[in-house]
Amino acid sequence: MQKSTYKNIVIAPALALFAGIAVAAPVKIGVLESLSGPQASTGLLYRTATKYGVDKINAAGGWNGEPVQFVEYDNQGGPAGASDKLKAAIADGVQIIVQGASSAVAGQITEDIRKHNLRNPGKEIIFINVGAEAMELIGEKCNFHHFRFGSNAQVRTKALVNAMKQANAIGSKVYSINQNYSWGQDMEQAISDNASSGGYKVVVKTLHDVNKIQDFAPYVTKINAANADTVLTGNWSNDLLLMMKATKAAGLKVRFGTTYLDQPGNLGNAGDVAVGHYVVQTFNPEAAGADGERFIADYKARTGHEPVFIEPQTAFGMAMVADALRRTKPEAGALNVNAFAKALESAKVKTPMGEITVRASDHQALQPMAVSVVTKDAKYKVDNTDMGFKPVKRFTAEEAATPVQSSCNMKRPA
Amino acid sequence: MDQIIVSLLNGIIYGLLLFMVSAGLTLIFGMMGVLNFAHASFYMLGAYFAYTLQGTIGFWAAIVLAPVLVGGIGVVVERFFLRKVHHHGHAHELLLTFGLSFIIAESIKLFFGNYPVDYRVPNALDFSAFTIGGMQYPMYRLLMGGVAIAMFIVIYLLLTRTRVGIVVRSAIYKPHMAEALGHNVPMVFMGVFGVGAALAGLAGAVAGAFYTTNPNMALELGVMVFVVVVVGGLGSLGGAMLSSIIIGIITSLAVGVDASVADLFAYFGAGEWARSIGGLMTLKLSSMSATIPFALMLLILLVRPSGLMGEKA
Repeated sequence: MQKSTYKNIVIAPALALFAGIAVAAPVKIGVLESLSGPQASTGLLYRTATKYGVDKINAAGGWNGEPVQFVEYDNQGGPAGASDKLKAAIADGVQIIVQGASSAVAGQITEDIRKHNLRNPGKEIIFINVGAEAMELIGEKCNFHHFRFGSNAQVRTKALVNAMKQANAIGSKVYSINQNYSWGQDMEQAISDNASSGGYKVVVKTLHDVNKIQDFAPYVTKINAANADTVLTGNWSNDLLLMMKATKAAGLKVRFGTTYLDQPGNLGNAGDVAVGHYVVQTFNPEAAGADGERFIADYKARTGHEPVFIEPQTAFGMAMVADALRRTKPEAGALNVNAFAKALESAKVKTPMGEITVRASDHQALQPMAVSVVTKDAKYKVDNTDMGFKPVKRFTAEEAATPVQSSCNMKRPA
Repeated sequence: MDQIIVSLLNGIIYGLLLFMVSAGLTLIFGMMGVLNFAHASFYMLGAYFAYTLQGTIGFWAAIVLAPVLVGGIGVVVERFFLRKVHHHGHAHELLLTFGLSFIIAESIKLFFGNYPVDYRVPNALDFSAFTIGGMQYPMYRLLMGGVAIAMFIVIYLLLTRTRVGIVVRSAIYKPHMAEALGHNVPMVFMGVFGVGAALAGLAGAVAGAFYTTNPNMALELGVMVFVVVVVGGLGSLGGAMLSSIIIGIITSLAVGVDASVADLFAYFGAGEWARSIGGLMTLKLSSMSATIPFALMLLILLVRPSGLMGEKA
């Protein structure tokens, strides 16, 4: 008797407490990024930009009268860590997962979330992908609960080739060199696919190991032997830097068309080697005009630095999330993820670069792109150098878009 | 023909760079039996020290001073960390240096940030030595190769022709006898470790400017250094030199070969069939040039476990 009274005393308030939490559950947005280890430099940028987005939501009043909570999980750079931390996040009540730094990690998360949502109807989780650009994520793996606010290999290459051709900078012989995994293979495919519209011939296609090669001189010998005018590459980080430096050291007059040259540290380390090379970006401060200046100033005021690399696209993606949240009404005091996902499909945000929407059929964001060239007369200098990215051509979201892949077969909730 | 000559030259110079980094590792292992996991971290420290110093004291002085500083850190590591765990055996030393490699990488990020720093070849050295087949050959590459060869000759002569070499070798083979003769054996060990670290530091200071200096550089080269030492034979300086050059040349030449196993089958009229299988059959040799050294290591471990020039265990 005494025991059960004791139990009642403890359990009743505890139950009441839990019930209280369930009713007033705040929305939790969890960043699941590489916050430590070799890829942390990129993961930390995604975190900063997501935090910026959440702060903006809260500054505008949060959701359902409560501030949105920002939580972070370190995936330790790999799919296994991400899978573990995703479980932790779900247990913590996170409903919106944000990640971007690796297609391999994103592939794991989107599959885990798909399975979780199948097994737990009514407790769905949504994946906001702000940068993992592999085609399969909106192709074979396309999923109602995955939204991508980055671009992809086809979009980037189409814009890059188009702008370089107009600037008379692509030539007739293109050397395609990429890293040997999903992203690099997508890039190789995209470079071949755009050959006829770009008026070039792909003379050699090379795939190489990711982040394992110190010495790119043998590849430069190959580029020289192929007599290429332009090198098109999806390489990022050290692989891109080392290759550019090796080309310059050999005195080759070859132009690079790249996708990630704007990663911090690249221009600083490459020096004058980088001048004249092209990059396709989701945001260019000079192209964005006065709205861009306001965005940059606001971002700097809140985070301490100007938005670079993938930060703008992440901030814009979070603005889409904010837009959809605003239009999703609470159900029993909580967020219905399926209703939120439907709202996200019709989200429309005006960014400094132009309007962003989401394509409902594969959940790929349609966003404007800019192609820029590295020069010394760019308005915004980067990495404390005298160089920056001068916009060559801007594309609206419609111009930049590429068709939906036929492999996408999205199952929508009833 | 020109292309093959350039590829060979590229391979040799890259091999010499690998030797520069692995020389210290093999020296430390050969002399002290310590398998130093943090060795590539010393390489990274060398690059960062040289980068920091060059602004104030100039490039050449930085290249000289950076290895000295790294050597100093090596001495501290040996004296205050490794010596404490030495009598617990290899596992403890291995774990200690493994942990150290993480601490060094994170400290570098703390001080220099996550991104590559702008450590570059000075303008005075940034010119080409000669032109071959329409390609200029950078002078700085030749300089790196020269430093490696000079390093090999100096260490080799020091160990085989001088009194210091005799003391060091005797301290290793007969430590008690050497101690009885009045030599300070712990001091010799400390010195060897310091010199080994300094050699890695020198390699970093020289190569960091040509490649990139970033917080992941230790990770990128670390495994390859172990491959070099295993293939060459643990502790053999000549072996390290031989295997470095072999690995350098093989990876360099493999890049130029766009053939796959299917092409081999095509000689026998089975090309279509092989291509239809796909997978490994159609994988180009050039796409896995960075993997070949690991395959070589496995082969060596199978046929000649002590390495090319290692002593029979």
